[in-house]
Parts: sequence; C-alpha cells; structure tokens
Amino acid sequence: MINIRLNVNNEDYQVEVAPYHTLRDVLRDKLGFIDVKNGCNEGECGSCTVLVDGKPVTSCLMLAAQAQGKRITTARGLATDGKLHPLQEKFIDCGAVQCGYCTPGMLMVAKALLDKNPNPTEEEVRAAISGNICRCTGYQQIVEAIMAAAAEMNK
Amino acid sequence: MSKVKSLFRPTEYFKPTSVEEAVKLLARYNDKGAAIAGGTDVLAMKDPRIEALIDITDLGLNYIKSDSQGLRIGATTTLADIETSPILSKSPYNIIAQAAHEIGTPLIRNLGTIGGNLCNASPSADSPPTLLVLGAKLKLVSTLKSREVPLDEFFVGPFRTIKGHDELLTEIELPLLSPRTGTSYQRLTKITTIDEALVSVAALVVMDDKGGVIKDARIALTSVAPTPMRARQAEEMLRGRGIKDGLIEEVARAVADETSPRSRPDYRRSMSAVLAERTIKEAIARATSDVV
Repeated sequence: MINIRLNVNNEDYQVEVAPYHTLRDVLRDKLGFIDVKNGCNEGECGSCTVLVDGKPVTSCLMLAAQAQGKRITTARGLATDGKLHPLQEKFIDCGAVQCGYCTPGMLMVAKALLDKNPNPTEEEVRAAISGNICRCTGYQQIVEAIMAAAAEMNK
Repeated sequence: MSKVKSLFRPTEYFKPTSVEEAVKLLARYNDKGAAIAGGTDVLAMKDPRIEALIDITDLGLNYIKSDSQGLRIGATTTLADIETSPILSKSPYNIIAQAAHEIGTPLIRNLGTIGGNLCNASPSADSPPTLLVLGAKLKLVSTLKSREVPLDEFFVGPFRTIKGHDELLTEIELPLLSPRTGTSYQRLTKITTIDEALVSVAALVVMDDKGGVIKDARIALTSVAPTPMRARQAEEMLRGRGIKDGLIEEVARAVADETSPRSRPDYRRSMSAVLAERTIKEAIARATSDVV
C-alpha cells in the first residue's frame, strides 16, 4: 500500500491505496465521493467522469497513484457555499435528470466544456458529451440544459 | 493445486523521472512490468500477469515538434493534444489528428496516448494507417541500446509487436514531406459504444510537377488483417503512372484483394475498396491543389 495525498474539490485528503486502485475506486470507496459512479469499469460509459486539472477523464482508467499532485473536481465540487451551479439548476429545470446515474459525469463534462468554450453550439455540446451514456433521457434535455446554462452564465 | 492468479493486482507502482530510470525498471521487471501512461488500455485489459506498474507520464515525452528533419511526436502525447495540434492541422500530417479524433471518446482521448495506441497493437487501432503512409519510425530505448524501427516492421500479430518487455517507446519520427504530397483518411465504424473501426484507410500520394503522374503512393489500412497493413501491391500499381480513367478503381480492387479480414470478410473487403478509391482520389486532389 502507498500513502498518497489527493486534492479533491479544493481539499486535501491523505489516503492509503494499493498500486492497482483506480482513482474511481479511491474517490468512491475510500473517500466517500459517491457522486463518482461505478458503471462499466472500462471507460466507455462515462459515469465515473471527474475533472483532473480541469480536463474530464474517466476515473476508472486512471490509477489513484497517478492523481497525486493534481486538482480533482467531482460533481459535489460544483456548488459553492450551498448555492447550485447554473449547470445544476438548468439540469433540474430542463428535466435533464431522470435516474440520475449519468448526471454527475454529464455535469463534469459540461463544466469542462463551458470553461473552455463559453458559447458552444449544439453540435459542440453533443460532441462533448459523446463519451457519456444516458439510458433515460434520450439526451435532448441534457443538451438543452447545457445550452441554457451557457446562456445564463454569459448574461 | 496452485492457485492461478486471475485478478489484476500489481504490487508495485513507480513514477520514474527520467527515461534512464524507466528503462532500468522495465529491465528489472521484464514481462511482469508494464509501462502505463493514460492507462486506457492497461486498466481496461487488467492483465493479471502485471506485478509492477511504471508510470511514464513524467518523462517529458508529451510533445509535437517540427524541425528541418520532419516531425517528432513524443510517445506520451495525448490523443486530445494530437487532435487539436496546430502543428498538425495545416499540413498533410493532419490525417494523424483525424485518426486520433476517432479513438474512443473525448474522455478517453484526454488520457490515452499515441504511444499507447501503437504499443497496444490492436488489429483495429486507428492511428497506424496514418503513421504508416507518412513513413513513421519508432524510437525504442532500453538499458542496452536505443534503436529506430520503421513502423512497417513494428506489428507482428494481434496485440503483438517487436518491442521487447525491457524497451520503452519514446518517440515517433516522421520524415519531411515532398512537395505536392496529398493525404487522406476515411473510416467506417462498427457502431458500438465507442465505434471501433470497421475499416479505415489512409492514402498518401506524391504528384509530379505537372500533376499528371503519381511519383509515389502509399496505402494503409486497419481492421482488415491481423495487424494494420500496407497495401504494397496496390501501391506499385500507382507508382510512376499517369492518372487515367479506371486506374484508381482498379487499384482500389487490388487493395481489397490484399486484405485478409477475419470477421465479416466480404463486407470488409468491399468497404476496403470503397474507402481506398475515395482516399486515393482525395489524396491526389489535395496533392495537386493549393489547399490541404
């Protein structure tokens, strides 16, 4: 086991991990970030998406040990001082959350997109979420929510 | 009865800060050690034989450099960086970026590396056809020596390469392109979660000054044979020829004849010809125009 320090949502955590533990394993099972979901375990569903230094990645394909020294953001890190991020508000308003399993991953990808491209086209939104599977909504409401959040944030 | 190890449970993790350190570790652990960069293949495959993970992301191998000799791409350059590289985008090298864009998902591309795509050596890997037609050479380093291997010689079978367990792929080198070089890349997918290649074809042609004679032609494919392949006989049919009616269609059929697809062979052969015709024509058009 190795002792590592992880920075998650601007807080440092000291945790013991095995070499084979993935970032997803450690965030979810050891640090209690159950907003990071366990889906396919091979990077194809996107439900484990977190931001690492601002970039969305499938945390099931990154070793926990590789996340040392990086800034990790999970969906929980979106709200500030108890106030929901516009993305979260629009996801609720637009009915983009049904079972909710894909939602944290979608939010992370959307956050990264809007940080880089504050005014995306619908095409760009669809391309950005192309690594995140949703079995419930058919994606339309998710796309609308992200476009609405962008509009809100650009006011 | 001995217990067979079937779970992925490496007991060591190293993060060397130099290539020298990394290759010492690879030599020490040999077939029980694995280099890991983005982890998108290593952690998806979870090979139970791996005892030591050697993280190669801190060796300074994430770069795309252009100089008087051509292009050099560091092995741990992410697919996302390749996809968006301004150096690649405005040149015939841009087929590398197009291929990188097709790999996995945007999330996987933020982690996965070009070196990983090559070393994983999937028979349907997306980057090899583009690198093959561009004449790529690979730099392989070990504690004993450093060697350059043409990519043409790298793949030996499904998921098998000539790279030794003690060797590290550090760099992909691409020669300068001749004037009037045109490239093209086209792909059909399997329509699965991440749309692996059903057939991809890359073509490169070099035209003469008047744009009527093909001085050189290279055609490469993936997902139609045990490894990514060049269609060498078809290439020979183009070299030194003037473009005339029916030639490219004939060559496209020859490309299909050189493939040996294992699964859905009729459809794959048929599509190889379709994509070969399209890419050869597009490469010629690009070689003879001012626009890439």
